[in-house]
Amino acid sequence: MLVYDPATNPLNNNEWSFPLAECVHIATFAMSVGTIAIVDFRLLGIELRKQTPAQLLKETSLWTLAGLIITISAGLVIMTTDPVAYYLNWAFRYKMIALVVAIIFNYTIHRKVVLSESSSPGTRKLVALVSLALWTSIVFSGLFYAFT
Amino acid sequence: MSFAEFFQAVRDTQFFTGVRESMLVYPIVMSLHLTCIAIFGGMILMTDLRLLGWAFTSVPVADVIKQFRIFKWLGLIVMVTCGILLFGAKATDYYDNPYFLIKISLLLLVGVHAWVFHRDVYGNPEALDRAPAIPGKAKAAAYISLCLWLGIMSMGRWIAYFEKPDPIHDRKSNHAQTASRELHSRPTSARR
Repeated sequence: MLVYDPATNPLNNNEWSFPLAECVHIATFAMSVGTIAIVDFRLLGIELRKQTPAQLLKETSLWTLAGLIITISAGLVIMTTDPVAYYLNWAFRYKMIALVVAIIFNYTIHRKVVLSESSSPGTRKLVALVSLALWTSIVFSGLFYAFT
Repeated sequence: MSFAEFFQAVRDTQFFTGVRESMLVYPIVMSLHLTCIAIFGGMILMTDLRLLGWAFTSVPVADVIKQFRIFKWLGLIVMVTCGILLFGAKATDYYDNPYFLIKISLLLLVGVHAWVFHRDVYGNPEALDRAPAIPGKAKAAAYISLCLWLGIMSMGRWIAYFEKPDPIHDRKSNHAQTASRELHSRPTSARR
């Protein structure tokens, strides 16, 4: 049986790689959540009103996806430093569930409403608020690990 | 009164003691700080990428700069307010932390950056749209802005990993032990 000992992880054995992984994680989730928020603010009708939500989605979707891929990869690297402790942490468990829900939501309902020209203002606002709430809660739960 | 005494007094005020010791206020303020990085940092990033011609190319520069301006200001105000609360609560840990000092210096440079590039870039974005190509000065502003904010974010994270010199402490021990106990964002159970 293979046994993984986190003490052998390079990230636990020098002073710079763990914070560096965190910086990559933060910078790229900022890119993803930031670009999603730009589309959400447009759905709410509070910025870039000359552009359609669909146009903003097309302009940002590549950056959102690239950010998600890198931030999740960096997150996995961070998790290897002590996987059992993360697994047992309730904030981490919430984060993982919310992340899956948020990604599915983003690429199904959210995308459909953004691209549809016939969606009502009410639907658009609701979808934007759900999206913002989901992603914000993921950021919060990421920080709440350290305090639970 | 020395710096050390002054920041000890700040830290020990009833207000900042409350922030530090609350099970909820401190992590919520930190989370808000991080959420601002995501939402408003994202806008800064996209503005810079627009100036570089890498993103938002179908949207005029003037729209991107003007429409995001109010949000960036709001975000900065919330972020700095959270930052002051976090600083005050642990003033004695921060004021002589080299990473904190670098971060504050970079923030001052952001002010200098805004002042230097206001006339030719941010204050007159319509001219950038009229130009046949984005001028070099605007691209320089974008590159410098990216570097400054990435630096500020990174130094902010590194603050948590600075340890005041302590001859007894074994600096070469496991990372989980050397990382600052109070500030970094790993599960409590990971801090052996």
